[in-house]
Amino acid sequence: MGEEIVHALRGLDLSIGSNELVAIMGPSGSGKSTLMNILGLLDVPTTGQYWLDGRDVAQLPQSELARVRGRQIGFVFQTFELLPRQTALRNVELPLTYSGGPNRKGRAIEALERVGLGNRMGHRPNQMSGGQRQRVAIARALVQKPSLLLADEPTGNLDTQTGEEILALFTELHQQGQTIVIVTHEPDVAERCKRIVRIRDGQVESDESC
Amino acid sequence: MLILANVQNALEQLWTHKLRSLLTVLGIVIAVASTITVVGVIQGFTSYVSVFLQNQGTNAMWVWPFRPPGEAGKRLGRVELDESDYQAIAMNCPALKRVSPLLRRQSAKVRVGRDEITSILEGVSADYHPIRNFFVDVGRPFSAVDVERGHHVCVLGREVLRKLNAGEDIVGEWLLIDGQRFRVIGLLEEKGSFLGASQDDVVLIPYTMAFKMYPAVRRKIALTASALNELVVPEARAQVVNLLRRRHSLEASQPNDFNVLTQDEILENFNKLSLVATAVLSGIVGISLLVGGIGIMNVMLVSVTERTREIGLRKAVGARRRDICLQFLTEAVALSVVGGGMGIGLGYGLCALASLHPQMVAVIVPWWAVVLGFGISAGTGVVFGLVPAIKAALLNPIDALRHE
Ligand SMILES: Nc1ncnc2c1ncn2[C@@H]1O[C@H](COP(=O)(O)OP(=O)(O)OP(=O)(O)O)[C@@H](O)[C@H]1O
Ligand SMILES: [Mg+2]
Repeated sequence: MGEEIVHALRGLDLSIGSNELVAIMGPSGSGKSTLMNILGLLDVPTTGQYWLDGRDVAQLPQSELARVRGRQIGFVFQTFELLPRQTALRNVELPLTYSGGPNRKGRAIEALERVGLGNRMGHRPNQMSGGQRQRVAIARALVQKPSLLLADEPTGNLDTQTGEEILALFTELHQQGQTIVIVTHEPDVAERCKRIVRIRDGQVESDESC
Repeated sequence: MLILANVQNALEQLWTHKLRSLLTVLGIVIAVASTITVVGVIQGFTSYVSVFLQNQGTNAMWVWPFRPPGEAGKRLGRVELDESDYQAIAMNCPALKRVSPLLRRQSAKVRVGRDEITSILEGVSADYHPIRNFFVDVGRPFSAVDVERGHHVCVLGREVLRKLNAGEDIVGEWLLIDGQRFRVIGLLEEKGSFLGASQDDVVLIPYTMAFKMYPAVRRKIALTASALNELVVPEARAQVVNLLRRRHSLEASQPNDFNVLTQDEILENFNKLSLVATAVLSGIVGISLLVGGIGIMNVMLVSVTERTREIGLRKAVGARRRDICLQFLTEAVALSVVGGGMGIGLGYGLCALASLHPQMVAVIVPWWAVVLGFGISAGTGVVFGLVPAIKAALLNPIDALRHE
């Protein structure tokens, strides 16, 4: 078959402080998603370390990875990834069914209200607009009160206007103290962020705070 | 809590794919339905037969002349059982309470005036009634004198009355049995039918009269007897066997030239029969479960593929491998248990249908058959759901999320 070995990331060193709003930019294929997957513990680096909240989580066993993923990380995808047959409320509740804990419904309602969907809780994804769907997905990422909120091109499937609204929501969450990393192609999206990290060929090309 | 969510989720999946689910569980429906039906029918027959045997008189046994098959049988002399054997058994078997000859003719002509019918004729002694638990409720039974002297008296079963279009006032009247005049002295209580054959279609006469009418049976009589109690049935049997072997001068190497059958043995034979039926059932159930199980495995594999992205998402929000595994196992089990439930319903339906047949016994579905039905369906779900569930659990979250 002759599969080529691709080093999606190589020699990358990045540190993100709490309550930062970081934009990650770079050309297609530069390794942005790969980085996000590692930050989100969906993928593990072949070598290297990843310290999250003072703990090296890169080489944790599977079940522990799932636990950390569930409790400390909120992931927002470009394609929303909602369960199509379930209501907004049940979609948001989903992470809580795995981590347990009391008052799941109350916490899910609270998260939905935070993203401005208090009046859409009983709707299914196909009864909502793209922007509303992405809000549900953000509520789902927030419901565990994660240390790190990751969003890989969250506005990629939305029109400019709706994308703006979603970004405004991220800014608002950041102001409330949430640590956020957003991957984006759009410069005006990046402008809202306090720090822009540019990646090229799996390496940090520039890292500027403004 | 997770289990509850899993069950709810599983039922929703089932409901979303109603037709697919229905077709998938067909094998399990058949397996469980046939279990319920066959077990119900067997149980029905078993209780029917044991009630019948109770009605035959408890601790009853039968003896009749019999040439065993094969060389040893051919080398025996004349195979006979006669009145002197009967007398000897009556005198010398302490474990027996009562014994009566039983000379049976399958069709005897019974005639009253112009009406003639055929019925079963039995030549018996006065002890016959308590042995067979078959009593006279109008008129009187045979007395010892009737039998000793060979009086021309008879006792009729109720079915004979019906065939003759006669009422109970026939007691005291005269009728012709195979050309001989008999006076009716009593009527037997109604006993009902067994497996569609009436037990009341019988005419009793003293066995001494039967000897006179049919001299050929003198040397080939059958006996019916009852033991003192349930516990001594085997002992009574042994006494009869020893006595008859001695009387017939059989050597140790020779087989019996008669047969002894006790109620226990009848029940045992019947139980052997139900065992065969159960074995056949197990075959059917096994094959349908295999078919049903493969169906479930197939549909679950399809479901895992269809929902690869969902699995990826669930992992991304914190589901561990065992959570995903449990989710899909729950779905497989829900599928098969719903099939099992439908099978139980269908089984009861088939039992009800079978009961509609006029000659069918009352079908009894025992509770353990229902439990067994649910058990085997749930078991099938677990066994055949395991492979798809593990496949789902081992998916890599990013690959799953990238799945088209
Ligand atoms: N599963 C995979 N197998 C092999 N190579 C892969 C795989 N996933 C990603 N890559 C490679 O890794 C590199 C980085 O991919 P990545 O998806 O991180 O890029 P990206 O920066 O997110 O691009 P885009 O902006 O188009 O989303 C690319 O060269 C890609 O071809
Ligand atoms: Mg990408």
